[in-house]
Amino acid sequence: MSMLDYLMIAIRVAFSAFVPLCFVAVCVWMERRGAGYFQDRSGPNRAGIFGFRAAGLVQNLADGLKLAFKEDVISDHIKHKFFFVIAPIIVFFTAVVSFAVVPFADTLVLGGKSYIMQGIPIDLGILWFLALAGFSVYGIILAGWSSSNKYGILGSLRSAAQVISYEIPMGLAIVSLLVVYGTVNLNEMAQFQGKLLFGFIPMWGAILQPLGMVIFIIAAFAECNRTPFDLAEGESEIVAGFHVEYSAMKFAVFFMGEYVAMFASSAIIVTLFFGGYQIPFLATDTLIKFAKPVAFLLMVVLPIVMYFFTGWIKRSNVSHYPRENDPRVFEANIYIKCFWGLTVILELVLIAILLSASGGAAANIFVALLQICTLLLKVTMMIFVFIWVRWTLPRFRYDQLQKLGWQMLLPLALLNIFITSAVVVALS
Amino acid sequence: MGAKVKTIERKGSSLQERLYLIEIFKGMGRTFSHLWRNLLDNRKLYVRHYPEVQPEIPVRWRGRHRLTTHEDQSVKCVACYMCQTNCPANCIMIEAGERLDDKAEKMPVKFNIDLLECIYCGYCVEACPVDAIRMDTGIYSVTGNNRESFVLGLEELLATPGAFSDEEYKKGGA
Repeated sequence: MSMLDYLMIAIRVAFSAFVPLCFVAVCVWMERRGAGYFQDRSGPNRAGIFGFRAAGLVQNLADGLKLAFKEDVISDHIKHKFFFVIAPIIVFFTAVVSFAVVPFADTLVLGGKSYIMQGIPIDLGILWFLALAGFSVYGIILAGWSSSNKYGILGSLRSAAQVISYEIPMGLAIVSLLVVYGTVNLNEMAQFQGKLLFGFIPMWGAILQPLGMVIFIIAAFAECNRTPFDLAEGESEIVAGFHVEYSAMKFAVFFMGEYVAMFASSAIIVTLFFGGYQIPFLATDTLIKFAKPVAFLLMVVLPIVMYFFTGWIKRSNVSHYPRENDPRVFEANIYIKCFWGLTVILELVLIAILLSASGGAAANIFVALLQICTLLLKVTMMIFVFIWVRWTLPRFRYDQLQKLGWQMLLPLALLNIFITSAVVVALS
Repeated sequence: MGAKVKTIERKGSSLQERLYLIEIFKGMGRTFSHLWRNLLDNRKLYVRHYPEVQPEIPVRWRGRHRLTTHEDQSVKCVACYMCQTNCPANCIMIEAGERLDDKAEKMPVKFNIDLLECIYCGYCVEACPVDAIRMDTGIYSVTGNNRESFVLGLEELLATPGAFSDEEYKKGGA
């Protein structure tokens, strides 16, 4: 093992461990500001450091500090303190680890060696995700049961029943996908989606398996305990559900676990149905071959995008009432300078790629970085869909939830398997 | 029998609605149009930037109480206990004393209003026979560091000016 091998292992593990954690902040910010904008209010935008609000991102810091310094209460009536403490850890840990099999770039070739770009380079792929998603409900059940609280136990019972009934349509939707892709390895699935259907449509799972996609996304919403399936914490009837007895950092770990689970299942949805790290029409080989034209195109597009983005910042980041020497205009100017500085750095990097020798390691690394950005962009868009649905739909009633799972999604998933198998057999 | 009966069509039974997804996408389109409008121009948000921009208080708004005075700055209150008797929250505590300036027989020596008990119903204003207590200060946020600071005494009640002129107050219908 050379130094490069160790470095690549460190990078991969760091990426798959820290990116979900960093995205917790982004998710919470998107959720709260997004909720505000969906409902025609502004959301948390006041917290700031020396007047720098960063569009409300500083609020996360304030919330985190508050939760870290709160008293961590374990009531006397809780008999099983070990299970009570370990429950949020299970939820959080399974959520983080389930992201580990998602490939964030195509196999990177450096110095004649190829590196699989995923946190844990194993072939289990989607099965690993299914196993861990099923396991995370243990945390919720343990939390509800060890709380010795009727609301807690009701919430965890609901959650358990929900996850079990939605795991079946989810698994069946994956079965039909496996028939199409012929593999459980997520990296191979993503490579498959780089091909073109009839020569001009990207062969994404969403196009090959539209019904499977709908079923999988609905089931993924249920797995994450997100609205419209968040009966486990239906605050109108069971207070807060399974985490009613939790406070301070233990609650925060539950909260972060929920958002990491959202990130992980967005990543899985993107990898299965929306081409993973693939840029449409540009498979990895093509991208490596045309690395320089792509870099040049980016060099041209980046300042144009930044021009409109900074213009938007300038228009949005002002006080909406008469104010002398508006500090928010000053703030906006600093943000704009930061973004232009970032643009200059990126342009320099792109120039370095343009000047580098063709066919070398630089092109490969550039393509890998481009694919990482693509994946993160797609995942962010999927997270936005999660948030969008949350602020559009009301919560399902419990019997409606079970009816949807067993009477609609399950037969549809079975039908999808039959159709897919018939088509695959007929075509082969 | 002349009442008009409006029959409302029950929704949710057509195939398009029973498919859920189409209606869900319609709803998502509706919410997204709000998000997009606000993202493009955040002046369209229906919010008041509160601490900087204060709400406009109408004349009939029941704010914090005050006691009115005669022209010579002597208290109008005659300590008749009407407001104290009428108060549903029992927040007014009056102690009467002898009045020597020939305006009335009695005057309050102590007039305490516990704002933590007060429900701002305005019955004290309605009950007062001499227009001595009013809620026209326009103060809607009362803050303090301890419970005692919320009990207003006679001096504080007399010191607070009204936020409106007498004509406006009378026109307001109080």
